[in-house]
Amino acid sequence: MCDNEKEEAANLKEEFEWVLREEVHAILHQLHSVLVECAHRFPVPLYGNEGQKQDKFILTSTPEQLKCIVTLTGDSITHADISFKVLRQMHSICRTSINQDGPWKLQQIQDAANHLQQAIGYIDNVDKHYVFRSSEEVLHIIQCLIGSLQRARTALVLPKKRAIDELMKSRNMKALSPNLPEDLAISFYIQSHKLIFVAYQLSSVHGTMRIDSCQADCAVPWLSDVLFMLTAALHMCQQLKDKLCVFSQYKDFTVGSRSASMLLN
Amino acid sequence: MCELFELNGFCVDFKTNLGRDERNSKHKVSKQVLMFYENCKISDFTMPGTNLIVPVVLWGKHAPTHCISSIYLSRDQKTLVTGCYDGQICIWQVEPESLKMTPRCLLVGHTAPVTCLSRASIIQDNNFIVSSSEAGEMCTWDLVDGKCRESVKLSQIHTNIQAYHMCNSEDLRLFCNGYYAEILIMDPFSLEILFSLSSKMNPDWISAVHVLRPSSRKDDVVLAISITGTVKVWSLLGHENKQSEPIYENESKQIRCLNALSLNCCAYNQRTVLIVCAKYCQIYDAGDFSVLCSIQAPSGERWMSGDFLAPDRILVWSTEGKGYLYKLPANSVPDHKGFHGPTVEHDSPVLFGILAHTDNKLLSCPPAMRFVITSSGGKQRRLLLRGDSAGVVSVWNVDDAATPLLNQVPSHAPIVLTSLELAWAEMNPSPVGILDQLNHPDESEIKLTASIYLLSLNRLVVGREDGSIVILNATHTVQLQLLHGRHQQLEDWPPHQLLLGHNGRVNCLLYPHHVHQRYDKSHLVSGGIDFAVCLWDLFSGVLLHRFCVHAGEITQLIVPPHNCSPRIQKCICSVASDHSVTLLSLAERKCVTLASRHLFPVVTIKWRPADDFMVVGCSDGTVYVWQMETGHLDRVLHGMIAEEVLAACDETLTDDLGGSLSAGSGDLQGLANPAIHFFRGLRHRNLTAMRAATARGLAALQVAGPAPGAGPLAEPARARRAQLTVQGFRSNPTGMADCSPRRIMLQGPRKYYHLIRSMEFYDCLGGVVVMNERCGSVLKS
Repeated sequence: MCDNEKEEAANLKEEFEWVLREEVHAILHQLHSVLVECAHRFPVPLYGNEGQKQDKFILTSTPEQLKCIVTLTGDSITHADISFKVLRQMHSICRTSINQDGPWKLQQIQDAANHLQQAIGYIDNVDKHYVFRSSEEVLHIIQCLIGSLQRARTALVLPKKRAIDELMKSRNMKALSPNLPEDLAISFYIQSHKLIFVAYQLSSVHGTMRIDSCQADCAVPWLSDVLFMLTAALHMCQQLKDKLCVFSQYKDFTVGSRSASMLLN
Repeated sequence: MCELFELNGFCVDFKTNLGRDERNSKHKVSKQVLMFYENCKISDFTMPGTNLIVPVVLWGKHAPTHCISSIYLSRDQKTLVTGCYDGQICIWQVEPESLKMTPRCLLVGHTAPVTCLSRASIIQDNNFIVSSSEAGEMCTWDLVDGKCRESVKLSQIHTNIQAYHMCNSEDLRLFCNGYYAEILIMDPFSLEILFSLSSKMNPDWISAVHVLRPSSRKDDVVLAISITGTVKVWSLLGHENKQSEPIYENESKQIRCLNALSLNCCAYNQRTVLIVCAKYCQIYDAGDFSVLCSIQAPSGERWMSGDFLAPDRILVWSTEGKGYLYKLPANSVPDHKGFHGPTVEHDSPVLFGILAHTDNKLLSCPPAMRFVITSSGGKQRRLLLRGDSAGVVSVWNVDDAATPLLNQVPSHAPIVLTSLELAWAEMNPSPVGILDQLNHPDESEIKLTASIYLLSLNRLVVGREDGSIVILNATHTVQLQLLHGRHQQLEDWPPHQLLLGHNGRVNCLLYPHHVHQRYDKSHLVSGGIDFAVCLWDLFSGVLLHRFCVHAGEITQLIVPPHNCSPRIQKCICSVASDHSVTLLSLAERKCVTLASRHLFPVVTIKWRPADDFMVVGCSDGTVYVWQMETGHLDRVLHGMIAEEVLAACDETLTDDLGGSLSAGSGDLQGLANPAIHFFRGLRHRNLTAMRAATARGLAALQVAGPAPGAGPLAEPARARRAQLTVQGFRSNPTGMADCSPRRIMLQGPRKYYHLIRSMEFYDCLGGVVVMNERCGSVLKS
């Protein structure tokens, strides 16, 4: 190694130590405030947030196929008036409702909130005065954080797919009053920043089952905030990870032989 | 069905294997693995057919990294299993008396940290375990031969599994809890969800579960606590099934205990319960769930879990990898007359022993720990296991430390301390690597970082950490490592070619002609840590061009499908750590498209050649659609639509076989063998999937037949006919290219293999070999 390179390596090492000593804590602190802010947008009790906020939404589809007035309290739909047109009978309208005794729980909200809480927990576990001694230590925490944040985001963005019979047997469906006939089903779920209502109608055509559905959606304001903050936090994690990986190519800087750049191979 | 493998001079008789294979005939796997020990003769075996593949792993001098995330010891103390954050599982053979451990096998299949390991059967010598990962994958492994017997991918991710023998069932059931609001009860062999337990009161994730059978009752009781601190009790009668109505808790009570990590009912009196949280652990009265006493975690440490050693003694362990033994105060011991009384001032939990390592080596993450009760030879032992981020496994004998001494807090050292690195160091001669002969013993070793095998030229190309690329004759290399002969005395043998051009580690290599004939036979492409992609003339060794377009180290090189536009057809695709993707034209010697602006690392690249689209999937689920010819970003997609677009690219595969499936390199998520897809479809009764798989399989056959090397599936088919194949290095953490469950024997073969009729180099961590079919003539000693 010539002198220039030696000097550069020495500088980089100093910079690396600075990153571990100062920058990591600063970024974790910043991440913490973003995530706590995000937690406070959730309508459920979460990280010092009093919780249980109530929102009212009206979901309709054009042309007047279905209409649904929903009260969302925390992670559950506590009240809803639902009406939709039944296809097989002309001009027949199916009506049902959800009431306080049998709320429709949106598991996606609880899942996302719990994953977020876990992510905040990872940062809380790091003492503010702790001195990081290797990039692997930090990368482990970042990896855990990214995992939790990604799961939180996915919970809201990608609703789980369920079989129609699973839906029909679900506890949510059974809580409807009056109960729906056997060939009808409804579902509420979250997809990105929207609350979606779907009505399914089963019919048998030449022995094969056919499912018709019609849906309506409405934007839930706090969801867009939450998703925005989750994405921002994820991006901050990724940037810190990338920053640390740059140093990992200088082998004397890292404790182990693992290189993050091989992640893709 | 013969199978024999070698482990530290220990030989498994193939006849025993034969018997087992017959018993489990429905689980036969087509690939047989043969590894010969030096004194075994080939004539001892009958080789069934010519489709026999013998994988041989060359490990090299360095042990693979193994950052342990979960640990398990079989009840008979014969097998230790460690799962790591990279998704591999290591099986260790244990001598029951001395607890001496030897790594035996590496199981590859999970794509995410292995979070749970559990036994699968109550039968002592049943050699199956179940593993579960953070990506929701679950596998049942045969510990004897390392085969994966069953695997599923669930949408529910477990954080804990307790294997329990229910009253009305023949064998164990797995009680799983995790990132979902139920408790799932699964069959360890079919990996089916048998039934689930739901909550009526404050339904939330379950953070800890303990299943037990109260001494006075015949039914089983599930005790659990939710992350918000609701304790719940379910009583099971044994006839629960999936069809039955939801099973709700019989009782529930809210206590002040958030995010519990473990819950254990005292096995000796079933009256007290130990709940461990990160900051404190508490003893509760099981009768009314009132707190009896509480123990703070030592400063700078967090509790991980704990268990009862006796009615009045507990063992709790912390994130620093230390075990702490406490004697409980009188109000927390049921037999005592002061039980359930108020806390007496002078009577608090007393620390009477610490289980710790003598050195305080820095850990990069909390170790995996587990308290186990084993029995071998009629003797019961209580052990605390620990596996840490450096791959070190240690065991404490808890019984040695379980009696309190007056006024003393002794620190106990582990009775066993071992690691993969130690096992590697002990081996003499050390495991061979593929380029050992190029390293002079007195020089520092240059790490190998990438490799490809050029089948048609029988050349092995290896990239190294110092930026050099070595090209040599593959047969010669294999001969040198595996066969005894005069050539081993020759210095500087086999003859090799050296390509110098990279400044620093060579990350990836690509020989495009192998993927499609349209590329020049002499072109070799390499990507390095120096941000450069180099184009080489393989025959003359000349550096033809250096592409400097990326702003990060090159991580992967891919070949676009054959039906792209003529200009793109001459390109290769490279991916870099700055999250950029480029199409580099080998003919024009310039960058055709630079697709940057991806905020997150690129994990998938798919193609829509007909639309001139390159579809880039990032780790946050975002999908970027790029026009290949113009380099315009067509659109950015998120969420469901992103998923659908990626899936749609797969669908076009059926009629566009030449495309993205280029031998595991083009498509990182790589579609598995059509046969596997077919069976998966069969199992899930998915007719469309079966139809697609059949179409794909038939098309592959047609392509592979008349025009070998044209289609994506023809590549492996061609390799199968070859006498020798060498798979590339597998680096830690494992990639996503191929995640079919399989195993790798941990101990690399030694020298002096007599005759190897057919072998296949197998990919592995660090080192590699692979060969195939009837190379006897070449490899005879």
